[in-house]
Amino acid sequence: MESRILKPALGLYVALFVLFLYGPFVVLTIISFQQGPEGGPQFPIIEWSTYWYRHIFGLTPPSRIAPLPFGEALLRSLVLAFMTMVVSTVLGVMSAQAFRRKFKGSGVVFYLIVLGMMVPGVLTGLGTSLLANNVIGIERHWYTTAFATHVAYTFPFAFLVMLAILNRFDASVEEASWSLGVDPWTTFRKVTFPLIFPGVLSAMLFAFTLSLDEFPRTLFASGRDQTLPLAIYGTFSVEIHPNIFAFGVLTTLFSFALLSVYGLLMAMSVRRARKMAMQEDIA
Amino acid sequence: MAYDLQLSHIGKVYDNGTPAVIDFNLDVDKGEFIAFLGPSGCGKTTTLRMIAGFESITSGDLLIRGRRVNDLQPEKRPTSMIFQNYALFPHLTVRQNVMFGLEVKGLPAAEANRKVDRILDKLGLSDVADIRPTRLSGGQRQRIALARSLVVEPDILLLDEPLGALDANLRKSIQNELKLLQRDLGITFVFVTHAQSEALALSDRIVVMNAGRVEQISPPRELYTRPQSIFVARFIGANTLISGSVRGTQGGHLAVETAFGTLLAEPSAGMPAAGAAASIVLPAEAMHVLPATMPEAEIRASHGANLVPCRITRLQLVGHILQIGMVLPNGEAVTLEGHADKYRDTLSAGSEAVVAWNPSDATLIVQ
Repeated sequence: MESRILKPALGLYVALFVLFLYGPFVVLTIISFQQGPEGGPQFPIIEWSTYWYRHIFGLTPPSRIAPLPFGEALLRSLVLAFMTMVVSTVLGVMSAQAFRRKFKGSGVVFYLIVLGMMVPGVLTGLGTSLLANNVIGIERHWYTTAFATHVAYTFPFAFLVMLAILNRFDASVEEASWSLGVDPWTTFRKVTFPLIFPGVLSAMLFAFTLSLDEFPRTLFASGRDQTLPLAIYGTFSVEIHPNIFAFGVLTTLFSFALLSVYGLLMAMSVRRARKMAMQEDIA
Repeated sequence: MAYDLQLSHIGKVYDNGTPAVIDFNLDVDKGEFIAFLGPSGCGKTTTLRMIAGFESITSGDLLIRGRRVNDLQPEKRPTSMIFQNYALFPHLTVRQNVMFGLEVKGLPAAEANRKVDRILDKLGLSDVADIRPTRLSGGQRQRIALARSLVVEPDILLLDEPLGALDANLRKSIQNELKLLQRDLGITFVFVTHAQSEALALSDRIVVMNAGRVEQISPPRELYTRPQSIFVARFIGANTLISGSVRGTQGGHLAVETAFGTLLAEPSAGMPAAGAAASIVLPAEAMHVLPATMPEAEIRASHGANLVPCRITRLQLVGHILQIGMVLPNGEAVTLEGHADKYRDTLSAGSEAVVAWNPSDATLIVQ
């Protein structure tokens, strides 16, 4: 009875949701195959071509449109995302581990950590830049001030992921290890860490992807050398050509590749467990 | 006398102020099998975890082989714990699980391998040594947990409801294995359970706990025949409690004034003062049910000096066991079981009868 109305309504809702989720990317992809160098970022497509992809890699004859100045920015962003990922994940694992026991002021500390993902990014960026310039008196760089804001932003995500993982973690295996005469640090390395590793992987993924396309904090905090999102934004202010869209498609594909690696690693651990079980069935 | 394990005035109060264990005293000899028995929440597991070092001790002294270990970390104590859920390492094979403690201790590989092989063989785990434990049966996992704990040669093995997760048949067989293993190894076992049959079958002494306090520490047989508190009398076995007041001694027994007249009983500890409120604990095994037509003098002579009239409400034959349901004059319903031959044709449902018992088979507990 109810489902005759409810089901189609929910179906429509999901369809709209998917449309809004992937619509921009679909438009982006279509325009990235616009003809070049005359074709602009508009419909209809004059003629399908891979011109703008070749343009990114400098494989087209010189024209009035300069190649995207993304080489160094991309490298910076990748290095920054990697640094952020390592630091945030280590901090996230350690602080979530600390939260397994109640300690004095744990409530306050929890909100202080989570605040990092709540406060408006532009303000954090601006504040960091003012702090660096006027109070401490240091130069802003992507690998110093911007790095700090990236960690402050992604650390709460890593922390929350690890908190959820450790919440479901059965602590008796650790107690079993201690009771066998194994000290807490070795227990963490040999028992706890291998068991929470899937969660660590998720925390790493969060930190890396969030840092990679971080914009508002980086805008003020990164100083002279730009990261990739800033460089992309910079090109918008002049004139938009479909090469930006082609680049967008490539970075999205890169993100998907990253997700696939993550999924593959997860599947591998699952399959390994299943294989072990099958061996037992044969035995 | 050097004890393996001593708990002296051990107390535990949680951070929120709730007391979990109150004044726990126990001396355990080497090689003893001790069971902590009680309803859930009585503090038995907390006490076990204090011995293991997983819970802090609020007051009192904990000694292992004469050494005070109150503040020693769990990994430095000569104890090893078996968990109810086994707590095996799911990412390691059976052999790696068992090897774990030795490996970290830095034992030479050859010696460690020899020890692991021996214990795997002893517990019948050699065939599954290279499998991960996640898909093995409960009984096998139980044995892995035992092997893993025993291979590090603890002075005291702590077991937290180790049979709780097994089905009834398996529980019986593992129970036997456990007892044999303990005798064989000669190390002290401390075993937590809420099942009295396990405690009665396995242990040398049983510590009955209730609401954080020790109610009684006795060998199983004594716990059964001579309960020292109302709680123990209700918790262990199938006892009928008859309340009354102490009148004095009579013929070597205590005379107690009850709703059923004057009854005789054996005091559980010391001589109570006359007039003290007390309860007679009457085990089902001690009761004889006889037809009301039998002369009283004859009953007293042959079946014991205590007599209480009753009415038979139900008779049911289960194999060679006769279940007798009856009602005492105060309306209390009692069920007991007896060998069918003993009662053959003497009783009928709905008829009046007499319950008789020997005064020395009943215990008096002063309230």
